[in-house]
Amino acid sequence: MKQVHTAVLERFGTFAADFATEPYEAGWAEEAIFFVKIDGVAGVEAALSGQVQISPDGLTWIDEGTALPPIGRAGVACTRVRHFGNWLRLACRVTGREASFRGSIYLVLKG
Amino acid sequence: MESVAAAVGLSKFRPLERILAYDDFDHGLNGWTELTGNYRQDTMAVTPGHEPFTDLRPPMLSSATFPFVGTHGSMAGTYSMKLATRARAGRAEEPIRKGGFAQTLKRLTWQERGLVQFEMWFTYKPEADRPGIGEDEFRAFGVLWDLQDDRHRYFPAVRYLNAANGVVKQKWQYARARKVSAEQWSGNEETSISEDRQAAWGAKPGIDPQWFGRRSPDGSTEGFRDIPRGAQRLCYNETFDKINWHYLRFLVDSSRREYVELQCNERTFDLRGIQPTLAPAYPRIWSLLNLALWVEADTDRRCFLFVDSTVISTGPAGRRGRRR
Repeated sequence: MKQVHTAVLERFGTFAADFATEPYEAGWAEEAIFFVKIDGVAGVEAALSGQVQISPDGLTWIDEGTALPPIGRAGVACTRVRHFGNWLRLACRVTGREASFRGSIYLVLKG
Repeated sequence: MESVAAAVGLSKFRPLERILAYDDFDHGLNGWTELTGNYRQDTMAVTPGHEPFTDLRPPMLSSATFPFVGTHGSMAGTYSMKLATRARAGRAEEPIRKGGFAQTLKRLTWQERGLVQFEMWFTYKPEADRPGIGEDEFRAFGVLWDLQDDRHRYFPAVRYLNAANGVVKQKWQYARARKVSAEQWSGNEETSISEDRQAAWGAKPGIDPQWFGRRSPDGSTEGFRDIPRGAQRLCYNETFDKINWHYLRFLVDSSRREYVELQCNERTFDLRGIQPTLAPAYPRIWSLLNLALWVEADTDRRCFLFVDSTVISTGPAGRRGRRR
């Protein structure tokens, strides 16, 4: 039977500047989904976008090529990735005047 | 290879007669989960004051992979459970900083009062993100029982205080709160709600000693006391990516609500007769048998506790220990 695991990387967070989720080891998994659940948005033309990043060592990171669709309002967005090696994180950009997002980020792993 | 690993698996432990859980992290997280604070009853939000406890970091299955050596693996197999802080810490005399303290736990209930034992093979390191082995940047790790019977909730707990404000300590401590009020202990922090769900239930002295109680620059707290002759130099290998697995066994007697002993590698510390702080029983959590592990950073450098495998076991109460 496969393993499945959901890690809450950010819980009730406030995101008002660029950030990356904490490094997470996922070498046992074959597939991953990042869910970004936004509860509230402030600012003008606020947008939160993200890039899945992978790493050989958990310290140096490179874009994997998969992007999170930009989010501008409350709701949930996701992005899927496979063939990522061991380390995963989501590097996020926050744009817009006085932009701020409240929400949580989940990493769902299966393998 | 699997069968050899399985054969060796339990033989490296000394369980009591009934094994409640044997968790080898080559087979998933086995119900070990991040501790979270409590939530409000009227809206989907965190109880005010619980913010530091909303980011105790999710445990992960780690291959113990480092920049220079690559994958270290676990004691048996590839994966261990890794508990990782963020790269942030307050000073030793300050309250814990959100994310700089990580805690995971396993939640059970008990069938009978008696001996309760936790064992694990573990190791610990700060992150390999900068020069320096970081021996003085890793503050502490600990093991905590959270038990409740018909009368009391209490937290027999031990921690290895490795460093405080950059000064190496390397000693074991056990939890027993100083005589302080609930206000002094926790600010009477709301940690539960009354049986009728109408009133907040504040954290009583002795509850959650891993973070409540005033703290001092030397790493001491109102929640912990030094174990007599409890200094121990653990194997801390010469680089941040050389990890050696250690054995820990922590035994308590829930029939007497007392500590029994702590073993780490070749040292066994006799704790018989010592009682943790007894708080009144909390609403709802009858027969609680929780076991938690935590790790705390001393500087703005991630700190990791790796756990290869664990055993939780129980047995009938032993001979009457001497009272201290």
